[in-house]
Amino acid sequence: MACTPSVLGFGRPVHGDTTNISQAGLLLIDSGQPDLFYVDIFWSRGLFSSGAVEPLDSYIAKSKVLKTTDITPSLLSAFTYNGKIYGIPKDFNTLALFYNRDMFDVAKAPYPDEKDDWNSLTDKFRKVQAGLPGVYGIALAPEYARMGAFAYAAGFSVFDARGKSSVTGSQFREGFEFYTGLAKKGVGIMPADIGQGWGGGAFAAEKVAACLEGAWVIGFLRDQAPNLNYGATLLPKNPRTGQRGNLIFTVSWSMNAQSKHKQEAFQVLELLTSPEAQQWVLERGLALPSRQALIDNPYFKRADKEAAANYIVFRGASDGNVFPFEFAAYGDDWMTPINQVLSAVMSGEQTVDVALKEAQKRLDELMK
Amino acid sequence: MTEQDRRAGAENRKKLAARRRWAKAAAVYVLLLGFSLLFVGPMAFAMLSSLKDNPVEWPPGLGSPQLSLANWVAAARLGLAGGGTAFFGQFAPGAIVPFSITYEVDEGSEPETPIVRVPRRVPGAGPAAIIAEPFAADDAVVSEVREARRTTTDGVVRVTYEFDITHMGSDMVYGKLPLDIEVPMYQRFVRATLEPNRIERLGRVQSWNNVTSGVIPYVFYNYHRVFRENYSRATGKNLFLAWIRNSFMLAGIKVVTTLVVASMAGYALARLKFAGRKALFNLVLLSMMIPGQVTFVSNYLVLRDGIFGLTKLLGGGSLINTWTGYVVSTMVGGSAVFIMKQFFEGLPTELEESARIDGASVLATYSRIMLPLAGPALGALAILTFQGTWNEFFWPLVILTSPPDKYTLTLGLLSFRTTYAVAFDWGPMLAGTVMSALPIVVMFVVFQRYFVEGISFSGIKG
Amino acid sequence: MRAHGVSRAWEKAAPYILLAPFIFHITAFFGYAFVRTFYFSFTEYNLFASPRWVGLTNYVDLFRNVQFGRALKNSLQFAIIVTLAQTFLALILAVVMNSKVRGIRFFRAAYYMPSVTSSVVITLIFMWLFQRGGVINYLTTKFMEYRAPIGVFFLCLAAIQVLLVWRDRAGGWPASWFEPAFLLISSVFSFVLVLALQAARIIGPNPNVEVVRTVWLNTRQTVPAWAGALAVPRPLAAIMILNTWTTAPTMMLLFLAGLQDIPRELYEAAAVDGAAPAAAFRHITLPGLRNATFLVLSMGLISTLQMFDQVAIVGEQAPRESVITLAYFIYSNAFPGSAVPRIGAASAAAIVLAVFTMVLVS
Repeated sequence: MACTPSVLGFGRPVHGDTTNISQAGLLLIDSGQPDLFYVDIFWSRGLFSSGAVEPLDSYIAKSKVLKTTDITPSLLSAFTYNGKIYGIPKDFNTLALFYNRDMFDVAKAPYPDEKDDWNSLTDKFRKVQAGLPGVYGIALAPEYARMGAFAYAAGFSVFDARGKSSVTGSQFREGFEFYTGLAKKGVGIMPADIGQGWGGGAFAAEKVAACLEGAWVIGFLRDQAPNLNYGATLLPKNPRTGQRGNLIFTVSWSMNAQSKHKQEAFQVLELLTSPEAQQWVLERGLALPSRQALIDNPYFKRADKEAAANYIVFRGASDGNVFPFEFAAYGDDWMTPINQVLSAVMSGEQTVDVALKEAQKRLDELMK
Repeated sequence: MTEQDRRAGAENRKKLAARRRWAKAAAVYVLLLGFSLLFVGPMAFAMLSSLKDNPVEWPPGLGSPQLSLANWVAAARLGLAGGGTAFFGQFAPGAIVPFSITYEVDEGSEPETPIVRVPRRVPGAGPAAIIAEPFAADDAVVSEVREARRTTTDGVVRVTYEFDITHMGSDMVYGKLPLDIEVPMYQRFVRATLEPNRIERLGRVQSWNNVTSGVIPYVFYNYHRVFRENYSRATGKNLFLAWIRNSFMLAGIKVVTTLVVASMAGYALARLKFAGRKALFNLVLLSMMIPGQVTFVSNYLVLRDGIFGLTKLLGGGSLINTWTGYVVSTMVGGSAVFIMKQFFEGLPTELEESARIDGASVLATYSRIMLPLAGPALGALAILTFQGTWNEFFWPLVILTSPPDKYTLTLGLLSFRTTYAVAFDWGPMLAGTVMSALPIVVMFVVFQRYFVEGISFSGIKG
Repeated sequence: MRAHGVSRAWEKAAPYILLAPFIFHITAFFGYAFVRTFYFSFTEYNLFASPRWVGLTNYVDLFRNVQFGRALKNSLQFAIIVTLAQTFLALILAVVMNSKVRGIRFFRAAYYMPSVTSSVVITLIFMWLFQRGGVINYLTTKFMEYRAPIGVFFLCLAAIQVLLVWRDRAGGWPASWFEPAFLLISSVFSFVLVLALQAARIIGPNPNVEVVRTVWLNTRQTVPAWAGALAVPRPLAAIMILNTWTTAPTMMLLFLAGLQDIPRELYEAAAVDGAAPAAAFRHITLPGLRNATFLVLSMGLISTLQMFDQVAIVGEQAPRESVITLAYFIYSNAFPGSAVPRIGAASAAAIVLAVFTMVLVS
């Protein structure tokens, strides 16, 4: 079966094990083993610039099945580098606000909804806390992968026209202050403070009324808290701009530039991103497929909580200021200074002013 | 001082000395026990916790429902009732599973009959999510829920409900019978036939993974998950078993190569005269000192290029991600040669000399006279090599990257970080660590002498 | 019989025949690799294109690199602290282990257990113990809660011990301050006393103690606070504890071998001369262990300087810069997450590590 392209997978959004990623990248060149592999957006720039990945434009131009217009544009552009398409988005995730219906019911607080802005949502959390002592409003991981959505809502963009980042500007600061302020006011809590590793864990343990996670939490809840009566809604709007922000976590199928069976590999790629394959993935509740036609899919109209939550995550990709979760060639290094000051501010070790100045200083060092 | 006094004094002193010897022994035992707690405690506690539904519970306790005799008996009974055995349960046609659950309410409010459901529970974690499995819910029918007993004490009403779950189908045998029982919030759960795996929705729902599991799957639920949820998505093969097999195989092969190569080299270095002996020995010492991180880039390239192109001549390619590559690059270590050299140097020379006088060749002397004497050293070396390979982390991390069924056990465990640590799912993680430590711990207990000898021989660990 | 010349040649070649596989291995995978690393450290190389000579640039850049500075500091701190701690602990263990009591084999096996299991297993277990809601914090909380009774216990113990020893010395017996028989008596009495006081509700656990929620891994804090620039990042401190714990038993065996080589007669002679056990330890045991100590220290330095596994396994659960070591720095430059390999930088750092090892050990 020499013609069967081998497929290698690596990387997962946000939490992925990063140690082997570039090795996998090297492997492509070393041994020409896998013909197709998947690329996490977070690591994509380094890999695409290395020349290990085959540009797909010419294949797509000839394809009868796969059209660029089929794919959600924001996803496709995330895998476009120097004007060339290097990967077909396989699936994606955005952040949604997951909330515990029982808690809101018991506390007689209204559910969070799409009309909420930052302030009205905070009020709802306060009502839950008033009715259910010992419970926190929301789990807040000290990570840019959550907080960034609020900065985007306030109009922040990672790189300005000159390719620099300013976190001391008013837009980033607005999001940063709101996010850390929730913790300082006692409305939110860092998961680690209640003995949990992440927001989903705190949510499943019913120690918080809400969490900010993507569709990955759905599978986790299925195992850990199958009966949890949750709902999901879009992130709240910034009261000043009236916009939401969000991050897209996505993975693409890409082709090995050294592959000996490129045509066959592309056929497999077509198959993997075909409407049938994506429908199957969707129905099993594994991930959200990248085809934009799926927004009208009957799956999303189902009455169960998982489908409803998936629908919210799907819509998150196209509502408000949405950016892919990647930082050009800087990768992890870009987020590190921010994550660092996030936890310092949320645990009361630093003031916002000092924190943002420090982060800016380190970003400037990084980007000089 | 009279003679009598002096004798009494000596008598006293003897008694005192005896008393002190006892006390000293007691003190030593107390110290020894204290240190054992320090060294074995964490691992023993991790082992106990690997059985728990929630290994990060607060406060962390020694006990868990999985360790209570009452639950074992219950699990065994339910396993039998489900049509399986007491140890391994199932849910088979014709099974009638009796179940009871007790709640309490404050006097004045009326307890409500609980809602009992056999849910269609789909696993959500990682690759387990795509295993298609029939649902017991298709054939399970829950009888009417009857109130069996009601008592009132101190203003608290306790009610026990009973029901049966019957397999109405004709041929399907299910591995699992999950269960959810729901009551209003004011109704507090007291106890059930089997302790629930979790209590959800602010106390409203008691939930079980599998009520007819039988004892073993009940106690070792996390272990079961490790095997079930780690399989290759490309081939469907069980990954955890593959990792164990790989580790055993590679460690076995490396023991053989190390014994052969190191005993030959050690003998030559210890007893034979040849040009460059001193330089070679210094190189051995240097290689023991220099960390693997210093040399790994070149070694990676050597394997990638097929050992200076040798494998290409033989029709092979890159040796990255191959066991051949791993074995060739690690077939012997400087420290193994060092151990053997030290050992051979410690042997008396007479035997050897008489053999030489009889005209035996060097190779014959080595293989017939010296090697049979090297038993203890070879044993120690074998054990240390096995342990070292089983536990090796850095070099496999560099050269064995994909596919996952090529991993060794240490790499496989590391991959648990993405499978389970993302969700801080410590149950299977601890179960995995316990299982991968087990073979080496057993081996250690059996061959303790060799371990200790190996270490003190040379002062060099594996 | 064959000609004499042939068999002579065979005899001459015999050492090389025996050594051939080993020489091939050590040359290809160590000698050649070491030389090549040295060469790479003067080049710019990404594993694909051929290396380009850049002279000393890599070394100069290295000492400007913030992360390298951290790695260097972490590695040195780690090596020095862990080596000292484990040597000390190993010595105590070995002395205790050297007593002639029944069942010593069992204890030896128990102590050695952490050393036989893999770094991955041990590190994962430690990550679990050091969780924010984990066992370490729980035990600390319990300790804080029972601070008062524990304090009273030790005060009582000291008081009773002093009384007993005084009484004995007044009676003319040579009693040491740590007389085991008295220690047992004092601890039993103190324990009973503490229980009685607790029952009488005079002392008891403090119910208002705040639960300890120390973040061990995901923090950039350093400990201890007063140490200033010398303070150790807390996650690294956790790894230090872990490493001391796993390696001390191995080192214990070396000390034990050393102890058993010291002739018993020396101690007997000392006892006849009326030397106190402490003096015997200082004048007989310690000099007798000189070789073992040297071995333990150098092996400790070699193994701690190359600490890699724990950093890689802890991964993103601790901030990279708080735990990065030279060995990990090398690896992460050779196989960086999101960029092309920087073999030049990695090799230069590798040479620095090698030099450090050789300097510290010799």
